Amino acid sequence: MALQPAALSPWTYLLRNPRRIAPVFLIQVLVTALLVLIITPTNAFEATARANVKPLDGFTIVRPRVINGFDEELLRLLDANPQLRARVEAKMFWLRMPMIVGEGVAPMIALPQSFWAEFLDGVGSTLVDGEMPEPGSDGVVLHEAVVRAKGLKIGEAFGKLVDPQDMTPGRFTLVGVLGGEARIGLADHAYASEPLFVLARVPPFQVIYAKAGGKAASDAYLREARHEEAFGEGEKAFDVIDAAYMDERIAGMLANLPLIIGFITLSVGIVVALVISLLNVIAFQVRVDEFGLYLAVGHRRARLVRKLAVETAAVAIAAWLAGLALGIGGVALYRDLWLEPRGILLTVVDPRPLLFSLSVPVLSTLTGAIALGRRLHRMDPVAVIQRRGAG
Amino acid sequence: MSADVLLRATDVSLEYLDGARRIRAVDRVSLEVRRGEFLGLVGPSGSGKSSLLFLLAGLRAPTAGHVELLGHVLPPQADASAALRRRHVGFLFQEPFLVPYLDVRENALGHATHPEAETRLEALAAAIGMETMLRERPHRLSGGERQRASLLRALASAPDLVLADEPTANLDQETGHAVMDVLRAQTQGAALIVVTHDPGMLEGADRVLFLRDGVLQQA
Repeated sequence: MALQPAALSPWTYLLRNPRRIAPVFLIQVLVTALLVLIITPTNAFEATARANVKPLDGFTIVRPRVINGFDEELLRLLDANPQLRARVEAKMFWLRMPMIVGEGVAPMIALPQSFWAEFLDGVGSTLVDGEMPEPGSDGVVLHEAVVRAKGLKIGEAFGKLVDPQDMTPGRFTLVGVLGGEARIGLADHAYASEPLFVLARVPPFQVIYAKAGGKAASDAYLREARHEEAFGEGEKAFDVIDAAYMDERIAGMLANLPLIIGFITLSVGIVVALVISLLNVIAFQVRVDEFGLYLAVGHRRARLVRKLAVETAAVAIAAWLAGLALGIGGVALYRDLWLEPRGILLTVVDPRPLLFSLSVPVLSTLTGAIALGRRLHRMDPVAVIQRRGAG
Repeated sequence: MSADVLLRATDVSLEYLDGARRIRAVDRVSLEVRRGEFLGLVGPSGSGKSSLLFLLAGLRAPTAGHVELLGHVLPPQADASAALRRRHVGFLFQEPFLVPYLDVRENALGHATHPEAETRLEALAAAIGMETMLRERPHRLSGGERQRASLLRALASAPDLVLADEPTANLDQETGHAVMDVLRAQTQGAALIVVTHDPGMLEGADRVLFLRDGVLQQA
């Protein structure tokens, strides 16, 4: 029975030679952390955009498509919805908010004041600062994250009439701040419909509330109804803006992101793998005598290649885990110190960087083990012994 | 092969190219080594002593002839005879060849296949005065202690054949003789082949063979 020699275990080498494995380990830790720090913030747009459209979980918006407003026929069609609980005329505005790169938008809805309480209750929002707008005034309440993102203070005005660069038409004054999960703003429909004011030209919307438990069926009815023949073949009578529609829009905007991230990660992975294999070969130089001895006294090359592969893989996996921890820590710090104060959401533990950065340990292990395996296969133990003897 | 013949070389030659020149390092050597035999191999530098030793160990493939170890013809690839070598052959080189991050005990047992190698190691260490150094790493040992440590590695598996290539070359006379004494004492039931420049180290050898230009001559 052969002894199981712990002396030849890959772990023995790794635990007793921290200085030798440090360069390879550190490079992989830093590259993995860097990939996490680069890739994770790309979810900020998606996380923030999805939070901004979260209110659509509670209601659905219907917007006329071929006419500027709802005629009797359209309204009849909406009222025929068997799951309809309430239908409220509204106007919809989009507030621009800066993201890490470019801008995102958050919704602000103008509703008849009589419906505000029910609306806020439905989306789970409450007033946390300031006051609700006076009837007929330009006052609005905005979600606290949007207020932070836009850098607004209570009493300050915004809109295209205040700043020509602003995409929100007209002029509004922030009078209160809303808290809650839904990033929604609220304005007075009467003010937004004032005929002497530019806002009157903003197309009207209908906010559709479904009966309890009937939202999916209601949305399905609306999506089906927009293709009614009465409105001309192929023409959509109205757009249905529900959570599914917005999810599709967001996904469309991010469609190319995995390709870009994949390209960056693979390029980095290949470069790092080559560097690692080079460092492994350099580090192996000081182990030539050790492996020459193993071969001479009767260890099979295949077993020694396995030992080297396990050593390489163990360093790569440990470095990957340490890199993930470092990267996730850095991302959390970035979110807390820089993004959250600006109203930008970020998912700290994102599976994408975890998966993409796996290319670093996988490629490093493969190239490292192949490079060392080739060295070992070419090694002549007699030459090693004679060189030492000559020395 | 008779029962007590451990190793038999039959007309083995080893040739290699040195640039355009063909070198015959070992020239049609035939020899038999029996269990319990102490064989000395001497000759001037470049006479092919070490080359012959590597052929006998299966680390080099002969260009002609063949080597049998315990009745098995050694295959041309060193890897193919690895298990046989590890189980039955102990090596002692001119340089101690110890793995620097392993202690003496680990260096000795790392290659051992004998089920009682650990017990045997304790006895061997006591016999050569290394019992207090088993947990030491090689960098804390003197040259003589390192060579004794590699002796432990060579003998821990109770090999049938011990091949020693200039084991005392880097040691002073006194330490060299001490190493040889231990080697002889601990290989009583095995065959021992020692390559050396120094005939004084072969005191008590059953046979001393002289090699000149790769050709074996009885001394």
